Amino acid sequence: MEMRGKDVVLDGMSITYPNGFTAVRPTDLAIEAGEFFSILGPSGCGKTTILRAVSGFVEPSAGRILIGGEDQAGLGPNRRPTALIFQNLALFPLMSVWENVAFGLEARGVSKRDRRERAMALLDLVALRGQEDKKPTELSGGQRQRVAIARALAVEPAVLLLDEPLSALDLKLRQHMRAELRDIQKKTGVTFIYITHDQGEALTMSDRVAVMNAGVIEQVGASDEVYSAPRTAFVASFVGEANVFRGKVAALDGEMAYVETPTGRLLGRNPGALAIGADAMLFVRPEHVGFANGAQGGAQDGAQGFGNVFDAALERRDLEGPFVNLVMRAGERRIAMNLKNDGAAAPAADGPQKIGFSCEQALVLPSGPLAQTGEELAQQ
Amino acid sequence: MSGMTASFGRGLVAFFTGCVALWALLLIAFPQLTMLDKSLRPPARALDSSVAETVMRDARTCISVLDTFEASAKPSEQPATSGGLGVPSIANAPRSRAGTSGGLAVPSIGGSRGAGGGLAVPSIGGGATPNAATPDAPTRGYILQCDRATTATRFVRDPDAEPESLITAFGLPELRVDDRASFDEQRVQAQAVIDAVRPVLAELKAREASALPYSPQNFAVIVAARAIPLSPETKAIEDAQLSNQLFDLVGLRFEKDGVVHVRLTLVTLLRTLFFAAAATLLALIVCYPIAYNLALASSGRKAVWLFLALVIPYAIVELMRVYAWVSLVETNGVFNRALDAIGVIDLEAGEAIPFKRSPLTIFVVIVYTYILFMVFPMVNVMSTLDRNQLEAGRDLGASTWRLHRRIVIPHAKPGIAVGCITTFMLAAGAFSVPRIVSRGLQSEWFSQTIYNKFFESENSNVGAAYSFAFTILCFVIVALFMWLMRARLKDFVRA
Repeated sequence: MEMRGKDVVLDGMSITYPNGFTAVRPTDLAIEAGEFFSILGPSGCGKTTILRAVSGFVEPSAGRILIGGEDQAGLGPNRRPTALIFQNLALFPLMSVWENVAFGLEARGVSKRDRRERAMALLDLVALRGQEDKKPTELSGGQRQRVAIARALAVEPAVLLLDEPLSALDLKLRQHMRAELRDIQKKTGVTFIYITHDQGEALTMSDRVAVMNAGVIEQVGASDEVYSAPRTAFVASFVGEANVFRGKVAALDGEMAYVETPTGRLLGRNPGALAIGADAMLFVRPEHVGFANGAQGGAQDGAQGFGNVFDAALERRDLEGPFVNLVMRAGERRIAMNLKNDGAAAPAADGPQKIGFSCEQALVLPSGPLAQTGEELAQQ
Repeated sequence: MSGMTASFGRGLVAFFTGCVALWALLLIAFPQLTMLDKSLRPPARALDSSVAETVMRDARTCISVLDTFEASAKPSEQPATSGGLGVPSIANAPRSRAGTSGGLAVPSIGGSRGAGGGLAVPSIGGGATPNAATPDAPTRGYILQCDRATTATRFVRDPDAEPESLITAFGLPELRVDDRASFDEQRVQAQAVIDAVRPVLAELKAREASALPYSPQNFAVIVAARAIPLSPETKAIEDAQLSNQLFDLVGLRFEKDGVVHVRLTLVTLLRTLFFAAAATLLALIVCYPIAYNLALASSGRKAVWLFLALVIPYAIVELMRVYAWVSLVETNGVFNRALDAIGVIDLEAGEAIPFKRSPLTIFVVIVYTYILFMVFPMVNVMSTLDRNQLEAGRDLGASTWRLHRRIVIPHAKPGIAVGCITTFMLAAGAFSVPRIVSRGLQSEWFSQTIYNKFFESENSNVGAAYSFAFTILCFVIVALFMWLMRARLKDFVRA
């Protein structure tokens, strides 16, 4: 089933609601035709608003939206080459599965016979052949998901917009559906714009990811790039876990910078070329932190490779199958560690240990707002 | 049931079940069965035995009144030539003890023994032929019509059927009391009537007791045709009317022996049902957008105002709510005055629009009166519709019309059905609206016909037949409607 994706361009688009709340600040974004593009951000960051603007339910307050080079201003959702998959799927419960899939064709005046034929072909695509006469409520969560996809694809959209459609599924099913969505996207060649707050989804499926916070797209890039080379404090803290050390840039050493923090003077890469005296944050991923006394594990790059070493005591140890999560306490602050569960990961004693991380794995970024931690979210 | 016992306890459940059973028995089963029983029995006064009994009672009353009158008149002069009024004075009535205490000549219930309950006015069968001699006998000194006591009294029969009397049906001799005869002769004549009728009455009572007391004749009244005397000109006008041609087609109106007959009751019944259905349709058309706006389209604040606008009129007593319209639609009412003011009509020249004569006015008032019963079930169901479904439909390219036809209406169907049924039943049974608004200027609604049968013409047996037939018909229509809507009872729980 070959369809043709179109590119989507946001040209200085901003959206301010009548109550004065600016959901999306002026944004330029170019999504290529046939791309699987994710917009990742915490709830309330404006990502759904962008989606609704592209699908036509919300008019931009300023700027333009171009799909395939055509300005979409003034076109209602029923006249745009887009199809939206809702978070709750919004299947029509009183219609059978195939009628659901064929609804868009019905709206376009396709004859009943052709409608059914096309619906069947789509149900083949999503592996639902044989379920066509059931009601959506008789299907499982994953099957309903696939009906929603087939229904959206039935109108042969150039752009498929997905609003966290997997969030209601079980973990296993969600992982499976990720692969399936990717697969369908490849087969059809339609541009997918995928909205999610789940970084795992965004990173596994997408060609490119945009990370969004408070109405602003902070970074756009390939999954690897966003994870390993975040450009802002928010992206570094939102995508994946990170230990954050706040401080001021104390000295520069070529590409590297020393940051004076309460935990000590720490060294890390300085891609943004921060000047001495600038407020900075040093980020290091839990999987890059290891024990520095060789006997205690010799993590990733060995005890000798650690440019940053300090004392810490074990506070908590959580086993997560192949990994062990440790929470260490160094003075006033906690440091998360993520070790391979190879039997040698646990520290021998409760007493102070030497832990550290490589300078190459640490990233110095300008100080800025951070993503909320689980603890902060729980307290809201 | 076990679930209920678990949540409310045995005592409460028993109490609740008892209340429901009592309600079903006292307010549904009992009245409907009483109505059915009543509707199947002929009116008591139409029974042959009641006619015979009335004749005997008249004769007895005649005798007792003559006795009383004679006693009071004796001291003065001959009764037959007395010019004064014949009302005996009670003070010197020596024989006023034997049940004729009042001594009034108007036959009263108390005047006959054992004839309890029966109606004492035997005026149905056209009565006996008046005595030919009465007009030129102004000398009668009392107001008793002893001539009512005659074997020529007719039984109650269909207007079309052969008239029957005690004479033709039982071969009794023609006996009557002659007003001009002397008191003694009159007493003898009356006694003869009593003696002749007594065995017949016994026989009739026995026959009626053994016969099935039920007959469908009251229901036959519903379809009975009535002759309408029309001048040739009027008839030509009436014939040209579309409604009459329609009536002709389905047999509601026909000509027999050159006289137009109309099944008036049936016409009223069918027209009421049709009007009620039309009013329901109008209410549906008006209420659907309101309900949709209230449930799905309005922001919270707007919905509150709309809701208030709907509810506030219901703070007014129904009668007042209906009566408010009268001042609007009257000949000199607000509407006509307004039209006069803007120059559309000229009230002075008698160009007032007769709103009160238009069924449309009644529709509008019914819709206004019962709008909430249509709106609320629809709002309830519509508000359970996931708005995302509307957006999904819109996003897939559906027009507004298709969104409503394929998503909103199917979802709201139970609410629409409940609203329509409620409004239809209220409209069909409406009494105050047609009565107050039309004030006799329109053909009556069937509820008015029933009321009149019960309380104006006092023929409650026929009234019972009317109301029972009406109930059944409405029930059938509701069932048919539910079948058409494919609405299952369990869907109504949602509404």
